[in-house]
This record gives sequence, C-alpha cells and structure tokens, in this order.
Amino acid sequence: MRSRTYQNSYAGLVALSSQPTVWVWAAIGILALAMMPALFGSFGLNMLTAIFVASIGVLGLNLLSGVAGQISLGHAGFLLIGAYAQAILTTDYKVPTLIAIFLSGLVAAIASLVVGIPSLRLKGLYLAITTLAFTFIVRHVVLYADSITRGSAGMPVDALSVFGFSLKGDVRFYYAALVMLLLFVLITLNLMRSRMGRAWLALRDHDIAARAMGIDLMRYKLLAFMVSAFYTGVAGAMMALQTRFINVDTFSILISIEALAMIIVGGMGRIHGAILGAALIIILPELLSLGFTAAGDRFKTLMADRIYEVKGMMYGIVILLFLRLEPEGLAGIWRKLKRFWVQWPLSK
Amino acid sequence: MNYFMNLVMSGLVIGSLYGMVAMGFAIIYRATGMVNFAQGEVMMLIAYMSYTFATIPGMTFVPLMVCVLTASIALGLLIEWAFIRPMLGEPMFSRVMVTIGLAVVIRSVVILIWGVEPTAFPRPFGNEVIRFGEMALYPGQIFALVSLAVLSLAMWLFFRRSRVGIAMRATSNNETTALLMGINVKRISAIAWALSAVFAAFSGLAFCLMFSLEPEISQMGLRGFPATILGGLDSVVGGALGGLVIGVVENLAGGYLGRGLKEIAGFVLIIIVLMVKPYGLFGQREIERV
Repeated sequence: MRSRTYQNSYAGLVALSSQPTVWVWAAIGILALAMMPALFGSFGLNMLTAIFVASIGVLGLNLLSGVAGQISLGHAGFLLIGAYAQAILTTDYKVPTLIAIFLSGLVAAIASLVVGIPSLRLKGLYLAITTLAFTFIVRHVVLYADSITRGSAGMPVDALSVFGFSLKGDVRFYYAALVMLLLFVLITLNLMRSRMGRAWLALRDHDIAARAMGIDLMRYKLLAFMVSAFYTGVAGAMMALQTRFINVDTFSILISIEALAMIIVGGMGRIHGAILGAALIIILPELLSLGFTAAGDRFKTLMADRIYEVKGMMYGIVILLFLRLEPEGLAGIWRKLKRFWVQWPLSK
Repeated sequence: MNYFMNLVMSGLVIGSLYGMVAMGFAIIYRATGMVNFAQGEVMMLIAYMSYTFATIPGMTFVPLMVCVLTASIALGLLIEWAFIRPMLGEPMFSRVMVTIGLAVVIRSVVILIWGVEPTAFPRPFGNEVIRFGEMALYPGQIFALVSLAVLSLAMWLFFRRSRVGIAMRATSNNETTALLMGINVKRISAIAWALSAVFAAFSGLAFCLMFSLEPEISQMGLRGFPATILGGLDSVVGGALGGLVIGVVENLAGGYLGRGLKEIAGFVLIIIVLMVKPYGLFGQREIERV
C-alpha cells in the first residue's frame, strides 16, 4: 500500500512521478482508453474524442489561469484562431495537415501577444476584460476579412492524414486525438517540473515576491500567454479536424465560459482536474437531454428548441454549485477519496 | 458637417446607454472591489419585468417607474444576499466567476420564460420626433440622455454629500478601517448592488424605449465594458463620461471607417488606452504594499 512520499534528494522531488506504481496505473489507463473503440459506437467515440480535444484546450487555459494566475475570458478567440488557421493553411496553402496543427498553435501563440503585452501592465479584472475584448475583435476580424476567411459562410476543413495515411473516420481520429492529448499531458507535466512551471506558480502566488527572487515577470507572463494560446490553438485545429466544418458562430463567448466552467469543475491548476472537468461538462448536456427525454415530450421539445439556453443555464448552475460547495473541484474530491481509502479505517 | 453632427448626436445617445451600464459596474467595483459580469443580464431581466408591468392595462409612466424601481432594488438586494454575500472572503477569481455563472443562468431563464422574439415595448411618450433646431430626437433618446444626466448628477452629489456615499468611499478605500470606524460594510455592499440594479433599470428602460424588447439587451453589458474601463473601474461619474466618449468614437468609426469597425472600435480603443493608462482615465492607481 502506498502511503506518504518521502524524498531525500532534489532530483526525486522534481521527477516526473515519485512512484513506480503510477506508471503501471497510467499504462493500464491508456490501454483501457485504447480499447474504447471496441466498446462504444460512433456516438460514444465522438463524445470521447470531443473530451480529449477539449481537454487539450483546457490544459492550456489551466496553465494560464490556474497555474500562472492570469484570468482569461478570451480563450474562445484563441480556439477560433487555431481552427481557422488549420482550415486556411490546409486548403489555401496546401500545408500537410499534421504540420498545420502545430502551425495553428503557433499562429494562436503569436496572436496571444496582442493580449499578452497589455497584460504586463494590467492585473486581475482589467486583464479579464481585455481578454474579453480580444474575443470580440477576433470574431469581427474573421467576419469582415472574408477574402481570407470566407466570412460568415464558414469553411470546410480537410481530414487529418499523417504521412499519406488518412485518419478519416471516427475510430482513427479517436486514436489521433488520444495520442495528441497524451502528448500535451506529458508536455504539461514536464513544464510544471521545470523552472518555467515553478516561476508561474510563484507569479500566481505573489508577483512582487517572485520578482524579488529573480523571476523576470515580463518574460514569464508573456510565456504563459503564448504557451496557453498554443495549446488552445492546437485544440481549435483538432476541433476543426473533428467537425470538418468551421463557422464563427461556433466560437461564442459561451465557449470561454464553458472552458472556465471546466477548470472550476475540475479544480484549478490540476492536470487531471482539467481532463475530469472537460469530461463532466461535455457529458452533462447529454445526460440532461436523456433526462429530458425521459421526462416526456413537452420537455423534449423544450430541449430541442432551446438547447443553447438549457446548456447555458446548466453551466451557470454547475459553476455556482462547485464554487459554493467544492472549490477544489473534482480533483479535490478525488484527493479526498484517495486519502479516505489509503488511511482507512483511521480516516475521518 | 450635418453628417458629422448626426453621427455625434446618435453617438451621444448610444453612449448614454453605455454610460449607465458603466455606472452600474463602477458602483459595485467601488463598494466591493469586484466586477459584476452579470450587469447586462440584470438589465435584461429588469427590462423584461418592466415589460410585464407596462402591459398591465391603465399603466402610465409614473406608476410604471415606481414599480420598476421597487422591483429592481429588490432584485439587487436579493442577488447580493443570495449569491454575493456568501462568497465574502473567497478569492477574487471565485467571486467573479459567481457573477459569470449568474449571468448565464439569468440569461437562460429570461429566454426560457419570455422567448427570443423581439417585442415592441409600449411607448409612454409617443413616437413623434421632437425637433431642437437642426437636431431631431425620439422621446426614447431624450429619456436616455436625461436619465444619464440626472443619474450622474445624483451620484456626484451622493458621493460628495450623503453620509452613505461617504461611507461607501471609505469602504472602497480601506474595508478594515471602515469597519473599525463603525461603518456597516455589509450594508454598504447591499446598497451598492441595489443602486447598480437601479442603473440597470434605467438603462434597460432606455434601451426598450429606443429599440425594442429583445434578448440582445444583455449584450449591452459586454458593450459597456469599454466605457467602464475608459472611465476607470472605480469612478462612477467617470464611467458616465467614458460611455459618452465610447459612443461617439464607435459611431464616428462606423460612419467614416466602415460598418464592421463600429462594433469593435470601443474595444480597440480601450486596449490602446490601457497600454498608456492601466487604470483608465479617472481610475485610482492601486498602490501595492509588500
């Protein structure tokens, strides 16, 4: 039975994982996820894929808001930039789809400097409002630059293919999304144990103290914005590849709120929290629609007519409930459960 | 020249709406140090409630105002009591997220109850254009301009002369000291929320009198942010002025530079302003002590 972690060297503290058993469990988890296509039909697989893609973006938002402490209400903007970059690069410039994914992330990262640079002087709420303004501006630019973006008509997106091997179809794209998510989880874990991750934590907890300890605030704030936008841009590109068609209307302010709901539900600043939060927020509307269908025809039509409002209300209620009852989110519940289990019967 | 004057005038009218929204943001920021992201949605809810009041047969303007103001004060107090007060002492991020959660909930509830179709709001002042020399204004537009003028004068006096206003300034300056001086800080926060709901009522009514009753009212909350930031988050009267400036700038940008720019001109302006003056034009610089 695993109990406490005792470390007697610095290398042990910053190791990717302190326990060999974690690797075993991770391998079992990945294997289970790889078996999923055998269990689920295309509906379930698509939902899992959507969860993986959203998790990539939420990991990015989590790095910025949860780890570096900079509130952003503008991630819908980065997602939009990523999705459009993917569509434009592959159809107009014939860039290979796999390379385009990372280029889209890069484009979003460069765009993030537009909000990153004001963030050097702004704090807290002023910054939140600036990022909100950013989403507005991006949406309008995309709508009015219709010679590049096709305006309000939207754009079709080429399917993903890797070295000539097409990853079209639910099962193949599921594996692509899974690999992508694993890649980004690994990147995040490594970022968190490097100087950069620790600098971000210091920045969040007390920026003046961090500065006094030799952390270049300007550099790390901009880096936080760029890395976070990169993740979100990649998520946007993956989203475009999944839906195969993009339109500005998909990327409303509600997406930014959805993303914030995901990190709050999951637990701020936690990697597994981001994934759990994304999963819960994506599965909830489906559960709700099942419940409404069971409740009778009247509710079923309500769900069909007002899906946007019902979803919005649900996000709002979930945010309010978690903030009031479990501020640590699902990651906190998980931690408490684990402690209960490990320390039983002495746990309280 | 006439084109220019017309743009400025309609800019001032729409700007007075932004100004009232901005005052609603600023008073809450002033008293509690947080931004109420649900301001636009509160405005929407009050506008729909006032539609219900206004369609009662025999309702004239004065009783309507009394009903609407009473309802909005009650609403402001209710929100403060049920959602904001329990979050006291939590980190700022959680407190702001509560208002964001509240915003989506209110918006959805209003649409689920009243639907999305735009409805014509009753016009208690008629629909005749009133002329002042060159200028021609609708009664709804005059209502917006007059409300902004009255409200900002009232706020200026409130913060200068009234006991509660001075107590509110003290609270925003230093909450602990204000508490030690015998100011009831909880009541101050409740009053701020009630006042912000009153601003929401005026701006919501003005919107309905100028356009129609539609869910887009809640967008005014977002559109009012540039005004709030330009005036400085903690300056109530500055917010009113910021609203007028943003309204005129938006209209001029839309009129001379192209339609698409109208909607984002305000946001572009504040990103530039914030790079130069991070606390807006009239906001107080926050001094940090280590």
